[in-house]
Amino acid sequence: MIGLNDYAPIVGQEVIDQLQRLAALLGLRRFVHINSTRTGGGVAEILSRAVPLLEQLGLDVKWEVINGDQEFFEITKAMHNALQGYKVDLSPAMLDHYREINRENARKFTWESDFVLVHDPQPAYLINFLRPQAKHWIWRCHIDASRPERRVWKFLQEIVSQYEASVFSMSQFAQNLPHPQYLIRPSIDPLSEKNRDLSTAEIQEVLGRLGIERDKPIILQVSRFDSFKDPVGVIQAFRMVRRHTPCKLVLAGGEAIDDPEGPRIFAEVMEAAKDEPDIQILLLPPDAHHEVNALQRASDIIVQKSTREGFGLTVTEAMWKGKPVIGGAVGGIVLQLRDYNTGFLVHSPEGCAFRIRYLLHRPEMARRMGRMAREFVRHHFLITRKIRDYLTLMILRENPTERIMEL
Amino acid sequence: MKISPDQPAKNPFSFRECFLMPMPIGKKALNLRELLQALRDLDESVLYYHIFQSRLDITQPAEEYPNEFARWAANALQDVKLAEKLSSFDPFDYENLTQVRQSVVDILEEYLWDIQYIPWARSGFEFHFCEASTVVMRSHIRAHTLQVFCETLRKVGLDSIYYHFFEARWRLGVRNVDDFSYWIETNFGLPELVAAIRGIDIYFYSLKEIRDTLLGLIHQHLGELCDRTQ
Repeated sequence: MIGLNDYAPIVGQEVIDQLQRLAALLGLRRFVHINSTRTGGGVAEILSRAVPLLEQLGLDVKWEVINGDQEFFEITKAMHNALQGYKVDLSPAMLDHYREINRENARKFTWESDFVLVHDPQPAYLINFLRPQAKHWIWRCHIDASRPERRVWKFLQEIVSQYEASVFSMSQFAQNLPHPQYLIRPSIDPLSEKNRDLSTAEIQEVLGRLGIERDKPIILQVSRFDSFKDPVGVIQAFRMVRRHTPCKLVLAGGEAIDDPEGPRIFAEVMEAAKDEPDIQILLLPPDAHHEVNALQRASDIIVQKSTREGFGLTVTEAMWKGKPVIGGAVGGIVLQLRDYNTGFLVHSPEGCAFRIRYLLHRPEMARRMGRMAREFVRHHFLITRKIRDYLTLMILRENPTERIMEL
Repeated sequence: MKISPDQPAKNPFSFRECFLMPMPIGKKALNLRELLQALRDLDESVLYYHIFQSRLDITQPAEEYPNEFARWAANALQDVKLAEKLSSFDPFDYENLTQVRQSVVDILEEYLWDIQYIPWARSGFEFHFCEASTVVMRSHIRAHTLQVFCETLRKVGLDSIYYHFFEARWRLGVRNVDDFSYWIETNFGLPELVAAIRGIDIYFYSLKEIRDTLLGLIHQHLGELCDRTQ
């Protein structure tokens, strides 16, 4: 099992010492995380790594997952899309079903806790049934809620207002809420199967198994097949590049069980890529972390052409692997990429095509940007920083009137 | 003045760590006029975050502008002239945040007075106001000699540099005096080194550059006692 000390060669022993001293101040606090899936999607991925590390630091941690039927996940997917600004219509019956599934889940949670961190809208309503079971209830929003659909937000706002604080990934996602709001940027785990160093043989084995030849520069986008990730726009950009420069495109999409739209978007992508032998579409299972790692490491340029984005952990992963990244200028991607520095931000398929060509013709610039990107991630977006943020948040919430805590 | 590497300090230097938890307040400015109004109205804690504390938050490896208002003018309003004006202003020239606020407000008022149109931010690049809560923690690291101080300075996190050098110039209420130079002065004298450290124009350096500059100055004054090549 990976231990805290395994991170010392990557982040420095002083960072590990800091975490241990902060955790010692908290002692054996009970800390429950609740979300809606144990596999698939960035939230489940990071929880699967953060929970064991928090336990190693001496906290009493639980990770609970709510269950729901297909209708529930369609409703919460619609809520997710509404928070990202899409017009959706949720009928009173749908909202009742959302509440009812939360009520059913609440019955199985009998723990008591010091802190509960509820991730995203799916389990948010649990607070109505479980509030006496924990001292501090905090809502964690991982979604780009910068321009939410008004009616759905009003519904959620009433629920979220019952929490004592909220946490957002970016300041632009913060809302008008009657409690303190905090920023915790998402992070990646450099020792996970998706991010650990791989040997050349390991990379080659995956490419062989997936049928990808390295005969031309590889452009890659890894993301769920979701319209906000604009996979069709990536194909358009690729076709523009291909008119001038030989390369190939790999679109690798994971599925997530809470995303009923996945199959439809996948069909649209297949149609757009028809008759183009240099486009390879890979539908990967949610646990294909090793394969994603190898694909990212084998690629020459990595694209994340989202039109809405919470944070864009796939961008962070690619940067950590020292790759030049071209990302849509939305959400957390804006925070991560700076033109000519740690990557390129683009606003259209044409912009994406232009930057791909730019980098294909300037391999030294691509390498330099990749090196800067890796250091940037090391300082800001590794899991050790997120663990520190959680510990700091708990200390601050236990002393809510203090703006400067001297320990 | 010659200092021996193991000459002990009367009081060891106790390094502190400083964790920032940014707190967005859910308000934003879409254009320059809204920024000006917000700067007149919002709490000083918001101003303090965007001028000082944001250095501890996410910053790109090579930041061109020294505060978030200048950066926003350049990147979001795409108004380099305004970014230049906002960059040239130095908050360490003022006694308190009331004066700092007035100074920024004056720059924006004067700029808006002379132009025919209100600069608007590109969509998605609005200015989002934040404040922050801070946790300051005494680390177990103490320096009893200047040599150990230098070795430690190389290793501590940039949050320590922020707290002892950048934030201290504001916290101590005496401009140009920071925790490091104060400790050197009161324990070893060394007036030339102290003056050189207090002469660093810190507002235009990143935290990493401040660390490198400090180590460079100590090496320059004390030679092998602070070996830069370690």
